[in-house]
Amino acid sequence: MKDNKLYVVIFTFLISFILVFILALANEMTKEKVKINEELYLRKAVLSAMGIEYKNDIEAYKLFDEKIKIEKIKDIDVYKSNVNGEDVYAVIFVGNGLWSTIRGVLAVDRNISKIIGIDFITQSETPGLGGRIEESWFKEQFKFEKIIDGKIKMIVGGSGKGDFNHDNGEVEAITGATRTSESVLNMINSYLNILKNLLGGELG
Amino acid sequence: MSEYKKIMKDNIWYNNPVFIQILGICSALAVTNNLINTLIMTIAVSLVTAFSSFTVSTIKSLIPRKVRMIIQTLIISFYVIIVDIILRAYMPGISKALGPYVGLIITNCIIMGRAEGFAQSNKPIISFWDGFTSGIGYLVVLIAVAFFRELLGFGTLFGYRVLPEGFISWTIMLMAPSAFFMLAIFIWIAKGYMLRKEAK
Repeated sequence: MKDNKLYVVIFTFLISFILVFILALANEMTKEKVKINEELYLRKAVLSAMGIEYKNDIEAYKLFDEKIKIEKIKDIDVYKSNVNGEDVYAVIFVGNGLWSTIRGVLAVDRNISKIIGIDFITQSETPGLGGRIEESWFKEQFKFEKIIDGKIKMIVGGSGKGDFNHDNGEVEAITGATRTSESVLNMINSYLNILKNLLGGELG
Repeated sequence: MSEYKKIMKDNIWYNNPVFIQILGICSALAVTNNLINTLIMTIAVSLVTAFSSFTVSTIKSLIPRKVRMIIQTLIISFYVIIVDIILRAYMPGISKALGPYVGLIITNCIIMGRAEGFAQSNKPIISFWDGFTSGIGYLVVLIAVAFFRELLGFGTLFGYRVLPEGFISWTIMLMAPSAFFMLAIFIWIAKGYMLRKEAK
């Protein structure tokens, strides 16, 4: 009876139905929570890219509302804030990593002469290799990095510990994840260009 | 010795899925340069193996032989997605760090191996135990590999610095090939020990 064709079809259909139903239910139940997490990640990324410190998630949520204004310029959300007396602008950048889409935040000063900071919202690069773009030493390299000729350069095969000279316009790639590092840099450079057009046009 | 104890000993040592059955190698190469990721990943694999073995064993008398493997894959992927949903909702940091690897648990041959090799012909509770201890056998080996890779590659353990600042880290340890060396050395030592013990 078990190998009867009709039984096989009905059994496969039923079990697929039950499992997918439970999954859909679980997904539905956690949807709100996931959405809140994503929103929180976005807020935290914008804050840390701009160099605004926060102690915990609740403070991050509040600080974002207090300190950051969102302005739509040419259909792009530009995050604006004043940090230590200096105007800081940030945009969300999106681009292709080695395996998947990388989303992050890039913050610059008013003249786009230096990067204030970067942070990532979502990425699915290889854990332990490309995934290390989320580590603080990698992001710290970009902090207050001078923009030379409108872009940042990447050093491949450096010390592996990062380049913390912020006046040379250079950052080190992650050893073993050169491709991911390069894609991040390309994204940042192209968004520096976009920011230049945005801020130069409307506010300049 | 009770049956449960024997299964545990087998899965962790005498018939370890990684260094005896040589299963689950792909993830051994991928996640082991960082102890935290390794720990979470191996716990997730243990749970998925345990629950899928349990489920396969519970409904084994109903599964038609022709579609047996497809049904097993379906059950395994069900648990993998459940793990992914739980991580995304309640442990977003870890979910972010593991990225695509959670979804790739389904490609771990240990899970299918246990469902097919044990759960198909045993009772649910003992199948659960077999799946879980297989996962633990996998965990033990991966943690051992990750211990040396993280220590020599970053100079840290679980993210805490243990080697002095001046230590020149072995970059090769962070890349996938080093997992091959580490795993091979591990298999060599473990098998060598076993063979010597057998010879006595």
